[in-house]
Amino acid sequence: MRKVKRRALVMSAFFTAVVAAGVPAFSFDEDEEGEESEEEEDDDSPAWFAVTGGDVYTGVGGLLRGATVLAKNGVIKEIGYDLYIPEDAEVLDASGRRVYPGLVAIDASTRVVEGTVPGPAREEAVELEGDGHDHGLGFEPEAGPELPYQLDQELFDEADDHALDHDEQLVAAFEAVRESGYESLDLDAAAGFVGAGNDLGDEFDPFNYNLVLTLSAGITTVGQSKGVVKLKRYQIEDVVMADRKLISLSWSTGRAKESLRDKFKGAARYVRAYRAWEEEKKQNKDLPEPSRKGVDSTALKILSGEVLARFSNTGRNDLLEIARLAQTYGFRPVFDGCIEGWTVASELGRAGASAIVTPRTRTAKDERLQREAGSSIENAALLYEHGVQVAIIPGDKTIDLMGLAGRDLMHLPIEAAFAVRGGLPQDAAIAGITSVPARLLGVDHRVGTLEVGKDCDLILTDGDLLHYETFVQVTVVEGKVVYEKDKEPYWSHIPDLAPAKAE
Amino acid sequence: MVLNLKHMSIAIAALLAIQVPVLAGDALAIRVGRAETIANGTVEHAVILVENGRITMVEQDLPIERGIPILDRPEWTAMPGLVLAYTRAGLGGGSASMFEPQRSAAKELYPASSIWETLRESGITTVGLFPTGTGVPGQAVALRPMGKTPAEMILSESAFLKVTLTSDASAKKRLRDGFEEADEHVEKEQKAREKWEKDQEKKKKKKSSKKKDDDEKDDDKDDKEEKDDEPKVFVAPEPDEKVTPFLRWRAGELHAVIAIRKAADYLHLLDVLSDEDVKFDLRLPMRSETDIYEVADKIAEQGCRVVLEPRTAWHPGSRQDRNVARELSEAGVEVVLIPQYDSTSSFERWLSDVGFIVKMGLDREAALRGVTLAAAGMLGLGDRLGSIEAGKDANLLFFDGDPLEPTSNLEAVMLEGEFVSGEVDL
Repeated sequence: MRKVKRRALVMSAFFTAVVAAGVPAFSFDEDEEGEESEEEEDDDSPAWFAVTGGDVYTGVGGLLRGATVLAKNGVIKEIGYDLYIPEDAEVLDASGRRVYPGLVAIDASTRVVEGTVPGPAREEAVELEGDGHDHGLGFEPEAGPELPYQLDQELFDEADDHALDHDEQLVAAFEAVRESGYESLDLDAAAGFVGAGNDLGDEFDPFNYNLVLTLSAGITTVGQSKGVVKLKRYQIEDVVMADRKLISLSWSTGRAKESLRDKFKGAARYVRAYRAWEEEKKQNKDLPEPSRKGVDSTALKILSGEVLARFSNTGRNDLLEIARLAQTYGFRPVFDGCIEGWTVASELGRAGASAIVTPRTRTAKDERLQREAGSSIENAALLYEHGVQVAIIPGDKTIDLMGLAGRDLMHLPIEAAFAVRGGLPQDAAIAGITSVPARLLGVDHRVGTLEVGKDCDLILTDGDLLHYETFVQVTVVEGKVVYEKDKEPYWSHIPDLAPAKAE
Repeated sequence: MVLNLKHMSIAIAALLAIQVPVLAGDALAIRVGRAETIANGTVEHAVILVENGRITMVEQDLPIERGIPILDRPEWTAMPGLVLAYTRAGLGGGSASMFEPQRSAAKELYPASSIWETLRESGITTVGLFPTGTGVPGQAVALRPMGKTPAEMILSESAFLKVTLTSDASAKKRLRDGFEEADEHVEKEQKAREKWEKDQEKKKKKKSSKKKDDDEKDDDKDDKEEKDDEPKVFVAPEPDEKVTPFLRWRAGELHAVIAIRKAADYLHLLDVLSDEDVKFDLRLPMRSETDIYEVADKIAEQGCRVVLEPRTAWHPGSRQDRNVARELSEAGVEVVLIPQYDSTSSFERWLSDVGFIVKMGLDREAALRGVTLAAAGMLGLGDRLGSIEAGKDANLLFFDGDPLEPTSNLEAVMLEGEFVSGEVDL
């Protein structure tokens, strides 16, 4: 709310300028807008992009039927009616479609952004079959940045000698493929190994089909362990949006708890001393600055709000302990999982907590307990009701085509729909996959809602985003169409729902 | 027709000294039903005049001067010898990551190996042998699969610099570091030169009172003239052995073949090389799936050749076949085709594999170039071999039918004017 107010103030300052450009029914300006527009005016050929005629769900409370979203160089310039659209603008007709902000997955496996390296070609796989069952079928991640070059002479001469077994090998190989589930092998570990400690942007694969499938789910921004990545296609430039903001902290053993408490205690003491010093310095200039020696820098960053503390605890007692810790030292915890959060929702709300929930999680109650325990479909709803910011993520944070389908990143909106089933308001559920994760990732100034000044990342759907039959038809990232359902081989065979009906 | 002896150069003489072809000094006219010249398309009823290991003339129904022996084989189709541009034939594999740009595959050469005969019998008359390893593992050597010593075999000591680049920060950094070290060397050299020039100036000032005739010297390195105990000539600091290949690469004396795995790797490669003006070709090991077609236009723009195996791959995440060689070729990329594996059976079925992707839509001319002239070009030997043209090495293959037809037999192989495989009676 505070943010919106601030924007509203800024809006009044720039109102005249905006009016001159059109008559926006809905227009919030970012602070930097003034500077930016001056810079952009120097640009010879700005890339204009307009989405027209769709029902625009802005994510800040407004639903604008048949409105136009106009973007310049990938940034939303205006949202409203009867806008002047420059002649050279690329226009995307969204009539009959709903327009939502691009979704934000707070966590995604590295394979979404780095892709995987496909296995060796078919025959090679077969010829290598004799080498070992798991080998050569093409799924073994290569260790390090190595490429399988042509294999050595002897190996293949040997294979030639066994030419008679070729058919047998072929059958065995394909059966093994079927059994192992082609898509199931998790290459993330290997990808992580390759890129350990390196720059996210240097590993980005803008062509990999996991990324395309992620875009097909409407997701345009993903959190990674190393930072936040915009899912751009066809390019590797400017994809890293921010460094890691969520810092995982351990709250498990007594020792870990004690150590964490001590760190926060030290950091809090330092912050107090520093503030006191700042005040006293006005009178006494020679006063020495308090020493930072022995003060934990991460704890300090958490207390200053620069990064967020993330706890993977799910049990009630842990949640309460952490909430108290947070209140004692003055930071806002992020609970990942938060399965029993619904039993202590008011305490978490008081602590200013955020929660990353998976509504479909099922954990049985410990029957020895008198109190409420275990998972609840109402978790998200109850947390939200008590003021906890709720972000929603599926149980499987990758693109997974094997086994029990429907619980991976491709079903992020479905996961949010389950929260609605538990009583979460529709708006809050959508916020849980857009603006809330954007805020927790520290990129809410760029993504999460459709607002003037933010990136033009949006999706067009053929129905309500949270309806199970709905498909994302078009995904736009920074004013460029990056996914069209009809043009990709993955879902083009599924017909559109009837054009969105009036509610 | 007069024998054109003018073209005989000292180089050939040197070559003949070691090669001693059967027809040394003599000429041979080969009349075939058709010749795939590569350079000038298909020539029907072609007569190829071979002299001292070289082709001196190719023409349709060329009248043959009396006295020149004729090999008359109207049922044959001739094509240039196959150029296996990217191989570890006869040597083991290995994929250790390293930065050894100065390494040469020539060191691994073992002339007594039986592999060379295998290659000759498969119609392979030129070989590009690369060093093992990934990263920047060294330089490839181009050779003829014939000879008793490495020196007899080698055509080019540094055919190309092998580089692998994957989409990750460490691989990108390694390549960047190579150029940075080259930069540092250039800087060092410049500083040394400035220092030297300053010193010279100082000395001159000192001496100007005594000697007026002191010669003005600039940085002519070859000038060995010395008037004092101090050298008058600037001696550049010797570059590190690992820096030299990068300096040569920049200077255009060396080109690289850079192995990538997928389209994204290519973008990351361009990112690394954005400030460099260097020549490179690409090696794309064919995988079960590929997305390289996403950057086909960008590759064509860069003018890179692409080395790949003649086979199709799946569209990512599907079972839809994509003929990558065709897509690259149609985008304007010169494709270099190599056998599926470094195995005898793969060498033997190389051309029928190529025939397969031609059947799948690859342009036939592009395919034939891909195993001959394009491959020779990649080894820096495009002026010397790879096509049936006057002046080129007489590396010729003779088939009893279309070379790309699996039922055709390779009847004879000529390597620099000498039949090295097949029984041929005049």
